[in-house]
Amino acid sequence: MNLSISPLLALLIFPGGLFILFVGLAYEWVDRKLIAQLQNRIGPRWFQPLADIVKILAKEEITPDGVSPALFNALPVAALAAVLTAALYVPMAGMQPSFSFRGDLIVTLYLLSMITICIGLAGVNTIDRFSVLGATRTLTQLFSYEAPFLLALLGPAIVAGSWQISDISAYARGHWGLILLTQPISFIVALIGLMGKLELPPFDAPEAETEIVSGAMTEYSGRGLALFHVARDAELLIGLTLIATFFLGGIANPIEFLLKTLGLLLVMAILQALFARLRIDQTVGMWWRFGSILALVQILVLVILKSIGVL
Amino acid sequence: MANQTKTEKFIIPIGPQHPALKEPGHFEFTVDGEIVTGATARLGYVHRGIEKGCEERNYIQDLYLLERICGICSHVHATAYALGVEKLANVTVTPRAQAIRQVVAELERIHSHMLWLGVAAHEAGFETLFMYSWRDRETVMDLLEGLTGNRVHYSANVLGGVKCDITPEQRDAILRGLDYLDERMQYYMNVVTSDETFLGRTRGVGVLTYEQAETLGSVGPTARASGVTRDIRLESPYLVYSEFPVKVILDDGCDLLARFVVRIKELFESSRVIRLIVDNLPAGELTVRMPRRIPENEAVSRVEAPRGELFYYLKSNGTDMPERIKVRTPSICNWSSVVVTAIGHKLADIPMILAGIDPCFSCSDRSVQICSASGGVSKIWTWEQLRQYGIEYYR
Amino acid sequence: MKIGSMFGNVIQSLFKKPVTEMYPFVKKSSPERYRGQLFFDPSRCTACQLCVKDCPAEALELIVIDRAAKKIVMHYQADRCTFCGQCVVDCKFDCLNMDSQRWELAATRKEPFTFFYGNEADVQSILASAAQGGAQPPAQG
Repeated sequence: MNLSISPLLALLIFPGGLFILFVGLAYEWVDRKLIAQLQNRIGPRWFQPLADIVKILAKEEITPDGVSPALFNALPVAALAAVLTAALYVPMAGMQPSFSFRGDLIVTLYLLSMITICIGLAGVNTIDRFSVLGATRTLTQLFSYEAPFLLALLGPAIVAGSWQISDISAYARGHWGLILLTQPISFIVALIGLMGKLELPPFDAPEAETEIVSGAMTEYSGRGLALFHVARDAELLIGLTLIATFFLGGIANPIEFLLKTLGLLLVMAILQALFARLRIDQTVGMWWRFGSILALVQILVLVILKSIGVL
Repeated sequence: MANQTKTEKFIIPIGPQHPALKEPGHFEFTVDGEIVTGATARLGYVHRGIEKGCEERNYIQDLYLLERICGICSHVHATAYALGVEKLANVTVTPRAQAIRQVVAELERIHSHMLWLGVAAHEAGFETLFMYSWRDRETVMDLLEGLTGNRVHYSANVLGGVKCDITPEQRDAILRGLDYLDERMQYYMNVVTSDETFLGRTRGVGVLTYEQAETLGSVGPTARASGVTRDIRLESPYLVYSEFPVKVILDDGCDLLARFVVRIKELFESSRVIRLIVDNLPAGELTVRMPRRIPENEAVSRVEAPRGELFYYLKSNGTDMPERIKVRTPSICNWSSVVVTAIGHKLADIPMILAGIDPCFSCSDRSVQICSASGGVSKIWTWEQLRQYGIEYYR
Repeated sequence: MKIGSMFGNVIQSLFKKPVTEMYPFVKKSSPERYRGQLFFDPSRCTACQLCVKDCPAEALELIVIDRAAKKIVMHYQADRCTFCGQCVVDCKFDCLNMDSQRWELAATRKEPFTFFYGNEADVQSILASAAQGGAQPPAQG
């Protein structure tokens, strides 16, 4: 059930490593281009995200006063490492996940949360007040969307009867209409939760450019910023793959992968373009009032359905 | 600025370099968590010595210098100055020229309010509204380019009249452009007053009560959104506002949403007045002969800029260069309202409150008299001394 | 209570062309009143110097070789010009006009911004005396 390529290749080229980095950048480009089209303008050219990363990597990394240098330099690396590791358990590009074991859904989700925690730590590390504010907002947001997001992704896991992503993926391939029909709320909560996780508008209060410059990443320039940036893009790709696998009927081949993830990206781009930025207290209020209740209701419905033998 | 007091209070500096501000200005907000407990403002970063420069140039050159105090309200500055000089020289301008000046002024008001709508939406994180309103702003800029010859800094005025005439083709173009803009403005009015995410950022934010607006001396749409009737176009009509009057737009909301509503409604009013004027343009010449040497006199001219009341004081001394020109722009009056209303709000509301008064930092910096720190005699610098000081300061 | 009130516009834009002008691949022509680069014709000039006096940026200079024979050369510095059009208004004999289609004036050196306008012979004599004085010969107007 594991993909039969050597582990080193899996780590460095496919599906972790270079593949996810470059495809992540491509997805960022698609996202920006879609938003630009929705705003009636031309977006960036195809090589823009790559050019951004190359330019940022070439810049000097300035370590500000008052930080602990080891933490300052290690956090971006840790974030990227976590995200790349998470890629190993997800069915990337329609292939089987490279490594799979029981309970790897939880591990993947926690690895995806690692990047948010790293950004929060990075913000608190410096004494710059913008970073501290940004870190506070990042962690506050983490506490608000994490629970509904997890609960939403647990829906298909419950009906599949397993916490292993490859099992859930196989189940989804067989019953995809059923999943979407019985768990539309989970789908919506998961999609919007992914937007919160990636800090896309309207949930970009932690990175609100007009209020706190760049939030937790204000003090980073050069390598650290490039690594955080790339980690974000990779997280986008992994999140989309997860949701497509669980709710849109699994991914059997690369064409399906492209179609389903790009379709989800289109929906996310439309949602990004439609709303103003929510204040952090409004975000927390919304998630704890609507998000959690909806996710819990969905789980309840699933449990009932499962117990009466429909699923 | 790096104050971290024992009581866990932060001072957040906004500016002089900050993505929220389009121009440099320094604000210090004392926050407790996310709630603002105190605010101070400091300006002066864009001082260019324009008032002093006016004293070294003749009246015609000053027209273009004063036009460049601000990019968005450039025509209003030039109009106020031209009106003031015509008062000094006791010259009456033809009605046709006044009407064309008014058309350009109202078009500029449309331009300024649409720009403001985009910028305020950007501060709220609503990028889509920003992009769409700036796309539609291109329509009014094209109209102005066809009419006057430039998109910004129209230079439509000369002392004694205007440079450009409104031909029938331009009249048609203006009417077509206004039709398109009216439809778009109705759409934006719907968006601003009904979109729940945007209302969450503007309703109840930045409340400036009627009494506060009166006491702090707010002008322009900021005051009108708190119910204060202050509009120079009605109080002391200039140009042809007595024949083509404007209705004053008031709102009782007192908050940020009210300011949005007031400005968008003013757009409808401007559009109506422009249509009326271009259909009923009085016939006549465009310019009147103005003397080059203006006799000794003093004059005051007040006009309604998009941001509020613009006040010019001019003094002539018989030569062809003015003795003194004093400019008081509307943004100066509105700063105190920011400092007062910011208290009690969350940090995320601060850029919105700042944007709500439509700040124009370039307009706000005036200072000519330098008093020595030891309390000695204050002296007025000459142009050369001011230039030398600037050169030394930046070396 | 509406969310996503810009939905209609946003979805429609998916199917429309972007409204961005594709300059420099596609160039729109400027309106006829646009104030572009200044041009001078000495055949009617009386050297009254009003344009020079009123220029807010001091971008104009008239070099008069022979007033009666209309041998007048105008030294125009386009990098100082603010394109306000006051000189055009001042000239009572229509010697000055601004070309509405010549506005792409950006350059990386100072020389392309200096123009000498006048009859060919007069301009050459001015340039010769300038070269003798050690100044750089600039671009022709």
